[in-house]
Amino acid sequence: MSSHCRNSLAAMAALALLAGCDRENSDARGKPFGETIPSTSPDTVFPGGQKQVPLDPRLAAYGRNAFAIAQGQQLFGAMNCVGCHSHGGGGMGPALMDAEWRYGGRIDQIAQSISEGRPNGMPAWRGKLTDQQIWQLAAYVQSLSGQAPKDAVGSRAEELSNTPPQTQTKREPVLPSDSAQQ
Amino acid sequence: MRRILIGLIAAVILIALIAAVLWTRTSGRPTQNASGTAVNPNKAIAASAASPPDDGNWTMPSKDYAATRFSALNQVTPANVVGLKVEFTFSTGTTEGFEAPPLVVNNTMYVVSPWPNNVFALDLTKPGAPPKWVYKPNPAAAAKGVACCGPVNRGASYWNGRLYLNLLDGNTVAVDAETGAEVWRTKLADIQKGETITMAPLVAEGKVLVGDSGGEMGVRGWLAALDAASGKLVWKAYSTGPDKDALIGSAYRAPYAQDQGRDLGVKSWPPEYWKIGGGTVWGWVSYDPSSKTIYYGTSNPGPWNQEQRPGDNKWTAGVFARDINTGQARWFYQSTPHDLYDHDDINEILLVDYPVGNGQRIPALIRPSRNGFFYVQDRRNGRVLSAKPYGYINVYKGVDLKTGRLIPVPGMEPVAGKVSRNICPASPGAKDWNPSAFSPVTGLVYIPHLNLCQDMGVKNANYIAGTPFVGADVKMYAGPGGNRGLFTAWDPVAQRKVFEIKEDLPLWSPALATAGGVVFYGTMDGWFKAIDARNGKLLWQFKTGSGIIGQPISYRGPDGRQYIAVPSGVGGWAGAIVSANLDARDPTGALGFNNAMKDLPKRVSAGGMVYVFALPK
Amino acid sequence: MMRRGLCAGVVSAPCLAGCTGIQTTLGGAGADDTSFIRLFATFLVVCLIMYVLVVGGLAAALANRKVLTVESGAHHESSPWLRSALIGWTVLVAIGLTGLTVASFFVDRSAAARAKHPQFHVKVIANQWWWDVIYMTPDVSQIVHTANELHLPVGVEAEVQLQSNDVIHSFWVPNLAGKQDLIPGRTTDIQLLPTKVGLYRGQCAEFCGIQHANMALVVTVESKVDFLRWLAQQRRPAFAPATPLELAGYRYVTSRECSSCHNIAGTPASGQIGPDLTHLASRRTIAAGTMPMSPGNLYGWVADPQSQKPGNKMPTIGLASNDLHAVVAYLERLK
Repeated sequence: MSSHCRNSLAAMAALALLAGCDRENSDARGKPFGETIPSTSPDTVFPGGQKQVPLDPRLAAYGRNAFAIAQGQQLFGAMNCVGCHSHGGGGMGPALMDAEWRYGGRIDQIAQSISEGRPNGMPAWRGKLTDQQIWQLAAYVQSLSGQAPKDAVGSRAEELSNTPPQTQTKREPVLPSDSAQQ
Repeated sequence: MRRILIGLIAAVILIALIAAVLWTRTSGRPTQNASGTAVNPNKAIAASAASPPDDGNWTMPSKDYAATRFSALNQVTPANVVGLKVEFTFSTGTTEGFEAPPLVVNNTMYVVSPWPNNVFALDLTKPGAPPKWVYKPNPAAAAKGVACCGPVNRGASYWNGRLYLNLLDGNTVAVDAETGAEVWRTKLADIQKGETITMAPLVAEGKVLVGDSGGEMGVRGWLAALDAASGKLVWKAYSTGPDKDALIGSAYRAPYAQDQGRDLGVKSWPPEYWKIGGGTVWGWVSYDPSSKTIYYGTSNPGPWNQEQRPGDNKWTAGVFARDINTGQARWFYQSTPHDLYDHDDINEILLVDYPVGNGQRIPALIRPSRNGFFYVQDRRNGRVLSAKPYGYINVYKGVDLKTGRLIPVPGMEPVAGKVSRNICPASPGAKDWNPSAFSPVTGLVYIPHLNLCQDMGVKNANYIAGTPFVGADVKMYAGPGGNRGLFTAWDPVAQRKVFEIKEDLPLWSPALATAGGVVFYGTMDGWFKAIDARNGKLLWQFKTGSGIIGQPISYRGPDGRQYIAVPSGVGGWAGAIVSANLDARDPTGALGFNNAMKDLPKRVSAGGMVYVFALPK
Repeated sequence: MMRRGLCAGVVSAPCLAGCTGIQTTLGGAGADDTSFIRLFATFLVVCLIMYVLVVGGLAAALANRKVLTVESGAHHESSPWLRSALIGWTVLVAIGLTGLTVASFFVDRSAAARAKHPQFHVKVIANQWWWDVIYMTPDVSQIVHTANELHLPVGVEAEVQLQSNDVIHSFWVPNLAGKQDLIPGRTTDIQLLPTKVGLYRGQCAEFCGIQHANMALVVTVESKVDFLRWLAQQRRPAFAPATPLELAGYRYVTSRECSSCHNIAGTPASGQIGPDLTHLASRRTIAAGTMPMSPGNLYGWVADPQSQKPGNKMPTIGLASNDLHAVVAYLERLK
């Protein structure tokens, strides 16, 4: 094989690898049957000692995916999340851009909060949104505190929100959920 | 020659004497009326049927049906107020926004907390005022998720041996004032639809008047009357929809053509939008026993995005006068047709007898409205006698007194895709819910209010029952001058400001006026202030533990001394950044207040205490 | 030679099929389009003549070319007729261009004159990837809200206000008029004066995302009487469900995912971010022209919109089969 041919093959192989990037998957259809919100606990205390909970592979699939975060951003406005949580600053609902997570700050825990609702007023969206939409929303909500990689978040705010773009959001530490009050 | 000179001098002296007599007859010098209170023929006085003589108690948040918030006790004066000391304190155990005034009846103080709406009865005859009983109604926690501006409660009302109050989750309860036992509970509002109840009920003529909250949640506004004895619904008047729902019938006469017509509550909306149109009644109701008429205002229309709801949007952002027994409307005046900026009209309505010249007085109502104008209206028919701005306004040109219509400045309405900047007054208006006080002694209205402007962007709002129906991003900041709050003493007859006090923080607490000549109010960083009623000079102040957004009251204690009580616990819409621990990095948080209150978390923390002051024995 | 000519004719004939039909600039169903066709014809004729002259002149020059050799030493002199030919050619071009400019000017001005007096107003708001159509009336309680279809009365000047909720789209109904962009943050407008009753197809003409190709608009031009009847029908709230299956569908639609986005007037479903469904079954297409309206297509759409129009905003819910039957039965009721 000539060196020219080899170089082209190498370039094509590199491109193919790139296409497998988490960031790039645009799965518009999702898995309508079988996509579920996992049953997860926001708690950090387990009787009998710490349980080893294997992390759900969907955490990376949604949390690093630009399409999912972008869809989540659109749903955040369309489903009136903005009305209670503003653009992360809170209002009727708690702030989502800070380090405190009353019910857990992992994507699957956020997805469960959205799906099941929470006492003190978070509505339960199961049945009003598909599970894939809830995962997308959870991925966006987590990105509000800077947890998502900077190549997956939107670089300009879609709405007239006066907040800096997410590519410049500092990554907040995720404090354990027992910092909640009331 | 000399005779002429003497004659001239005598004539001059005579003329001067006559002029002096005439001048003193028509000047503003006070004269005494029968009860001994100084009455200036040129001053407004409180409507007498609605404002009975003070018995030293405080039985409803507005003090009387005329909403004067005036205590006739005069022990505390500008000379001795500097000696006020804390007599006792009481903690509610809740740290949400504390707006309700304590009530004092028969030597018992009743304290109403924000959610969970506990009621404490304190025995004032014993030292330290220990609780006699505690009433815990256990309203649903989920109601906190649909309360736009903090899970607050604006107070209970005492009537005929019972306390009447509203719970956040939409129930109205009657509690026996002696024992704390619940007598009845009636469910009026549905939190699934986004309705809550935060207002203080008005109890009169055996009826409990209750209105809903939720203009930001796409609910339909209403005012209901319950029978005080049994809690059964007597009538319910909606703020939108067909005339039969709004109880507009043959007795209705609007003062202006813009508010007269059939089914305007449907015709002034796009199809179906009146069902989610707002017009809630979350503020104050006043009552005139001589004509059996209640007066109250309705909230903003929903959504905030005005492009989605073309039309005048009746009957939102206006004032209703209704018969208390049947609920039938007497008149309605829309202060802000097709509201653009969330300028509700639920502010307090003071009932006064207003001088119109030649020693005549007419029954009037005066009110500092959220849209920035101080309205003086004939309360028999609603006609506007004057509407002058009491704060800085750049979005309205004025009120056309011929047609009664508010004149907006063209080009400043928020439209999709464009940010409208420098809108003054901002959405909380020149003054929000916190009521002013009226002193019949000075004839002035003491208004604690705001100096805020905002940027606003709107987009299509989606309606899902139980979720916000707003469609707007807002960012508020201080208005001209840099001070976010103002305390204004307004002369409603001369229609001008007499004095004003600039405050750094917005004023979110109501005012208290006393006959001794001292006016009280509190700031959001906790200072409880006493000022001279005539000139606004700061006489005394005390730093409480949390910000003050609640109503101060004054009562006569068992030992005959005059006591002043004030709740201290920051929160509400303006204080949400502290009470709900919001993040200031998003300026649009708390519907725009995050940007204006960035410094508040550093200055004050949440709390829930009642402070009671008195002069030493 | 004959065969090649025949072959060329056979190949080019299908291309001419674009000259007729429901989505063609040569349709001539609107006043603007008619004047455009006339202008187009004028340009075509003038340019054809110039083309023939140019090609003819080139052929003549090629045919009469003289071979110059260096040895002949001939001193080439330009023919006297060449100069007059050049002057004549310049004049011809000048006249042609002036004529075209004047024709163009008059067509534009006549369209503007028509546009001064619209007789009714429609607002079209473009979203990704559907059209929100609102018939504005001075009495706001008579406003009609529909989606993905436009009805116009023949012979009546309509002013269409154009807005966009997200990115730039373009409104293009070739049979009626030209294109006009819908730009977020601005309001543009276009005037339509339909002259022929019929059914026409419009299309989004500015790339707006993954489903730009499936963003069609069905335009029905009808008599004034038919138009008013249609408008009155659109004002009615949705028909109530009549059978138990439809009732089950109504319950699903108004309490589950559908009501998060869609509005059906007279029911609790009041979502404002998706197309209005109140009279869905009376429309000719589903999803902005993606497929024709039919029960089978409706089943396919509701069951899996992402397979039909991948990337669009309606999610594939994964309805159980009895829910699917109920929902489609109810949607069929929304005439």
